[in-house]
Amino acid sequence: MSTPVVTKPAPDAATVARPTVGQRLTAFMPVIALVVLLAALTVADPSFLTQSSLTAVVRTAAPLVVLAAGATLVVLCGGIDLSIAALCSLGTVLFAMWLPDLGGLTLLAVVAATGAIGALQGLAHVFLRIPSFIVTLGGMSIFGAVALVISDAGPIRVVDREATHWLTLYLAGVLPMAFVVALLVVAVVWTVQRFTPLDSWIRATGYSESAARLASAPVDRVKVAAFTVSGACAGLAAVMLVSRNFSGSPTMADNLLLPAVAAIVVGGTAITGGHGSLWRSLAGALVVTLLRVGLPIVGVPSAYEQILYGAIIVAAVALTLDRSKLLIIK
Amino acid sequence: MNMQIEPEQRATAPVTALEVRGLVKHYPGVKALDGVDLVVRQHEVVGLAGENGAGKSTLLKALVGLVRPDDGEIWVRGEKVRLRSVVDAADHGIGMVFQEQSLVPNLTVAENIVLGSEGLGVRRGVYRWDAMRRLAQEQLDKIGSRIDPLARTDTLTFADRQMVEIAKVLRIEERTSHPPVIILDEPTSVLESKEIDALFTQVRRLREFASVVFVSHRLDEVLDVCDRVAVLRGGQSVGELPTADAAPDQLHRMMIGSTGSDDHYHGAAVEPPAEPREPRLVVRGLCGRTFRDVDLDVHAGEIVGIVGVHGSGREDVCRALFGAEPTTAGEVTLDGEELDLSGTRAACAAGVGYVPAERKTEGMVGPMSVADNMTLTKQEARCSGPLVRPRKQAKLVDTWIQRLSIRTPHRGTPIQRLSGGNQQKVVLARWLVSGDVRLLLLDHPTRGLDIGARSEVYRLMRELASSGVATVLLADSLEEAIGMSDRIVVMNDGRATTEVDAPVGDKPTPLDLVKEMV
Repeated sequence: MSTPVVTKPAPDAATVARPTVGQRLTAFMPVIALVVLLAALTVADPSFLTQSSLTAVVRTAAPLVVLAAGATLVVLCGGIDLSIAALCSLGTVLFAMWLPDLGGLTLLAVVAATGAIGALQGLAHVFLRIPSFIVTLGGMSIFGAVALVISDAGPIRVVDREATHWLTLYLAGVLPMAFVVALLVVAVVWTVQRFTPLDSWIRATGYSESAARLASAPVDRVKVAAFTVSGACAGLAAVMLVSRNFSGSPTMADNLLLPAVAAIVVGGTAITGGHGSLWRSLAGALVVTLLRVGLPIVGVPSAYEQILYGAIIVAAVALTLDRSKLLIIK
Repeated sequence: MNMQIEPEQRATAPVTALEVRGLVKHYPGVKALDGVDLVVRQHEVVGLAGENGAGKSTLLKALVGLVRPDDGEIWVRGEKVRLRSVVDAADHGIGMVFQEQSLVPNLTVAENIVLGSEGLGVRRGVYRWDAMRRLAQEQLDKIGSRIDPLARTDTLTFADRQMVEIAKVLRIEERTSHPPVIILDEPTSVLESKEIDALFTQVRRLREFASVVFVSHRLDEVLDVCDRVAVLRGGQSVGELPTADAAPDQLHRMMIGSTGSDDHYHGAAVEPPAEPREPRLVVRGLCGRTFRDVDLDVHAGEIVGIVGVHGSGREDVCRALFGAEPTTAGEVTLDGEELDLSGTRAACAAGVGYVPAERKTEGMVGPMSVADNMTLTKQEARCSGPLVRPRKQAKLVDTWIQRLSIRTPHRGTPIQRLSGGNQQKVVLARWLVSGDVRLLLLDHPTRGLDIGARSEVYRLMRELASSGVATVLLADSLEEAIGMSDRIVVMNDGRATTEVDAPVGDKPTPLDLVKEMV
């Protein structure tokens, strides 16, 4: 056991910026937002703060948590994955189509397929040197169209409900199994990240890719891995959606892209990469879901939802973006 | 041509166009400017000389409002001014032709010249091509250039683009009634000798209606074209020299200070390189984008300095040996085994280490902790199997913090909060933690460090060499290269042209090397 070496601070340590109030605040932003929102909703509707409505919130949030968690890895590496929602929709179609043949293995097959598609996007980004924004924007369009084509542009009903039944159960009667799975995903990915060199590599890549490369960190492999996990998460979220809707549909998850990105930035993960974590996105996803559930409670028509997401994303990035390191903001 | 100079004005005592008094600028860990004085009189070409890190570029940036000094004053024609932006500086008649050209390549010459202050070239938000062309032509006439204002900028040669820049910068004449001050930052670094002659003709022409500040690494040029040279060293003004009867070596001595004062970094007891053996690093005929047919041998325990002017290609050779710059031909072996140059991972696995010149953007990951920065490369040093062992890491990092006397509040402190010298020690330690580095490539390892931090880095380099590491050093100054190296390779235009032995007690002088470099 070593004792920490406490030496005098560097002479100019005092002149170098300490974390500002804003930076300290953003560290707790998602949790603060969560508490404030809960309080506000309870004030607006005193009957809101019940076990059953909270259970409903986390059940609704589960697919969003998984989607956002996967995409967070890509964002941490300094990229963005815009294809998650379309890939998730494709996943619901694949699940509904494969279920009759594959039965219990369908979940694994779908997750493997979307993971492989994510990996392809990562490879295209890394080896063809195309910005992740473009690769996944293209991917979004392609996956959405593929889902439409193979499903004949309509929902596919799932008759065999046994395969996804377990996801609709409740742990201890209150905790939806889907949410437990979402928590597990976050915990497992975080654990792997935390206790292997992956964390260092991901953050170094996100903060400064050139420095990471010159430190001979496996930048390319880390990025491909991030896209793979993001894809796989989209597949898992798809299974969750199917378990709730008893069908797969080529546009089922399309409206989850904005909430997922909102969850990531509201969580305080820097859109420029490096800074952030999956836990933050979990909190962010809960905030976003609460807003979604809460809007009707305070009397705002749900048509305003998308306006809200758009505003949240812009506002959250405005609050958290460290502009001092960006020469040019594109 | 519009020259509003009255003849008698030139005859009387020269007017001071620009004066800098006691300018100070600190960056974390460095004093870039530490009390600089400069006087530029009307119709005068003043040279600015100094080694890398002497403060030249910071001074220039302060003069055009890109850097705000912490202390000191800038006076323009007897009026104290505060320059907050390039526009501010232009309003006071100060303009700069940047080293990296600032023209937009896919616009015409005329568009570039009017860009930013379109004046009559734009009416109600719409380009008026005729007026714009006339405006541009006027500017080009000022410098007697025959460049077509409607040519696309990227079809011009570099030298012509530079003329366009000068024409463009002269538009500050419209903002002020006084003759302007034009700053030329390293204007000759990429020009051919014929083009340099043309540029010098231009500079002499500019003198007729403006003042010029001329910065160049090439001392003969400075002496040729300037009336007077101001010398900076370590962020301070160390003196001035009228060029009429000065020789390059006189100027160079002022730039580097009294030779021999930096002997401390030679290391007290340096073993002469061991008996001739097979060199550890053997490079034969290495070719890349900016270098050709480079041969290089480095023995274990030897420090080989590569010197060369800007554009000699030495930085790229260094990066190529680390797999961070593509090569097209050549053979490289390390201890007899072929070195894989396909990427940084392969080089690192083979025992090659690299410290980049740009510490803040390439050397370290600023927001990450000292510990994580130190173990970023050799992850195995803090892991058992695939798992990170926090205790193992803590122990390792603390050992190295102590061993290199890195001053940090804690191993968990973000590296960006350390001073430059301590940051650099962490970056160096990155290659040492696993103890398997055989070849270290150091690209300006002391850039931006103060003298104390420098000598610590020097001592560390010496220790590493004594322990058998082969080192390639791209030094920050000739003095440093001479002091630290056992052997010096001179690179010129992408080729290794000369090799000079530099054993202790028989060191070459900077001038010996300068002759080979230019």
